[in-house]
Amino acid sequence: MMEINIWVQQIIQVLISGIVTASVYAIMGIGLSIIYGISRVFNFAYGSFFTWGAYLAWFLFSTFSWMNYPIVFLIVLPVMFALGMLTERIVVRSLRWRANWQVTTMMVTLGLAFFLDNLALIIFGGFAKPLPPIYRGGINPFGFTLSVQDLLMLIVGASVMIIFGLFLAKSYIGMSMQAISQDMTGAEIVGIPIKKVFSYTFGLSTALVGMSGILLAPRYYISPHGGWEPFFRVFVIVAFGGLGSIRGTLYSALILAILEAFISWSLGATWVLPFWFLVFLGVLAFRPSGLMGKWG
Amino acid sequence: MGVRKNMQFRKELITLVTVFIILSVLPLFIYKNSYFIGLLITCLIWGTMAAVWNFTMGYAGIFTFGQFAFFAVGAYISGMLAKHLGVPTGISMLAGGCGACLVGLLIGIPCMRLKGSYIALITWALHLVMGPMIKVAGPLGTGGSTGLMEIPSLGIGGFILSRTSLMPWYYAGLVLSFLILIVVYRFIFSSVGLGFVGLRDSEEFAKTLGINEYKYKLLVFGISAFLTGIVGSFYVHYAGIISPRILGLDIFLLVMLMLIIGGIGVFPGAFIGSFIVLILNDLLRPLEAYRFLIFGAIVIVAIKAMPEGLLGKFNKLTDVSQRT
Repeated sequence: MMEINIWVQQIIQVLISGIVTASVYAIMGIGLSIIYGISRVFNFAYGSFFTWGAYLAWFLFSTFSWMNYPIVFLIVLPVMFALGMLTERIVVRSLRWRANWQVTTMMVTLGLAFFLDNLALIIFGGFAKPLPPIYRGGINPFGFTLSVQDLLMLIVGASVMIIFGLFLAKSYIGMSMQAISQDMTGAEIVGIPIKKVFSYTFGLSTALVGMSGILLAPRYYISPHGGWEPFFRVFVIVAFGGLGSIRGTLYSALILAILEAFISWSLGATWVLPFWFLVFLGVLAFRPSGLMGKWG
Repeated sequence: MGVRKNMQFRKELITLVTVFIILSVLPLFIYKNSYFIGLLITCLIWGTMAAVWNFTMGYAGIFTFGQFAFFAVGAYISGMLAKHLGVPTGISMLAGGCGACLVGLLIGIPCMRLKGSYIALITWALHLVMGPMIKVAGPLGTGGSTGLMEIPSLGIGGFILSRTSLMPWYYAGLVLSFLILIVVYRFIFSSVGLGFVGLRDSEEFAKTLGINEYKYKLLVFGISAFLTGIVGSFYVHYAGIISPRILGLDIFLLVMLMLIIGGIGVFPGAFIGSFIVLILNDLLRPLEAYRFLIFGAIVIVAIKAMPEGLLGKFNKLTDVSQRT
């Protein structure tokens, strides 16, 4: 009886850790999804912005000893937002609507990714950097332990999604974004300033990925090329959920993060990446349109 | 059409042969300088790879970023066969090419139906997972993250090339590169190539004539994976060592830069680009970490400065610029 109890407890623990990871993956996935769904640009520098968000937080923590997470978010998120808007303005905008611009923008953002990665390498060095835990300690509801950090990550993730949903449904910019993702020409005809919305989309997406970079940094270390792996995972999540579909992204983040947690618990961490790749191949072979999106 | 195509073929072939004649005479003047010969061999390897990439991307319009994954598959298969099983290098190289081709087809079968930008994403994902997969597959003989070492040298009919003298390597690489480019040429100026021209000029009409876009793309993708795998297996026997670092972003950046600087045309764009980039790479070596920062910036600036020049020759078949 006791044995089974421990087993059940472990499973619940793994489930919780999966859900917590899912909330961060979902934030990151939404950022990737909107940038593609609305501005039609696939941003290869996404993983680098993930790293840069974490590096900026690390910089604040190491410079000011009194620094804490709320202030870090208050400072880093606007900076990331501005960085994203700047990227759209300087790097992407002039390429838009030219021949094969979707591929040109991919190459140019890939160039940007290399630039940002190597800039991080030069400024911060090759050694992996840690961030302090968001909160130390844990609580014990119903007999199993839950770290407050996980709980906070979950709350932050959920509230970001709720706020983002409200933003899409209620605000002018949010509604413009929806309109553009449904029918770009129509949106332009009715007078929606699409260029401006593209800028905001880039900014928002970059802020979201920077945020997830900070949230995941206390768990994993920050290194100059460390953004590519989460980027790949989130890409699989978004592909699985259907590129451009926000609800699909949410579901697939939940499904895949929980599966990931169970695989790393039962088979070991080395199997996590092959698992992602297998999911990816499966999605490709059986449902390239994803759970609820349309490809091509 | 046929005549014009034939003339163009002859013109391009003359360019190709001229470049290779120059390349085959060049070492006679600098044979004493092994540093330059080494640089030239590197140029040949990456230039051929860039040229095959260019053929896939610029001519057939398949936006693949997975060429390095095929390169690594070819290199690893050939290296492992020769090292662990003692397979003659000629056969192991062929096996490397076939293995890369198989991976290419596995990815290509579901993927070639999708639009251009998705192909780019998927092949890039293949590139990203290939390194970790090789590390996990350590027990199978890939050598894990340290890599495969002491790989047998290339043997041609009982004569084994020694790594101390570079000239035989240079000429072996030159011959291989020439053969690969001839295969690429044969393809471009064959019925398949004509099919792509048809698809470009009038997609609907070409399709009603029975040109199967999917089949053609898959064919080109498979061939390109095969050729890249062969280049990879030549590299592995030349270098004698391979590790997952070959999938690092630095080399990828360099080869992409060859493509961008060389411009996307069939030939000799990327091939010449490889010489420019690798010499630049050598000149900038003293800058250490700043080198790749500069290369990243060059990519951005080059694409922004000549987006049409770079991609101008991309055909309409892959034109994804229509607003959706």
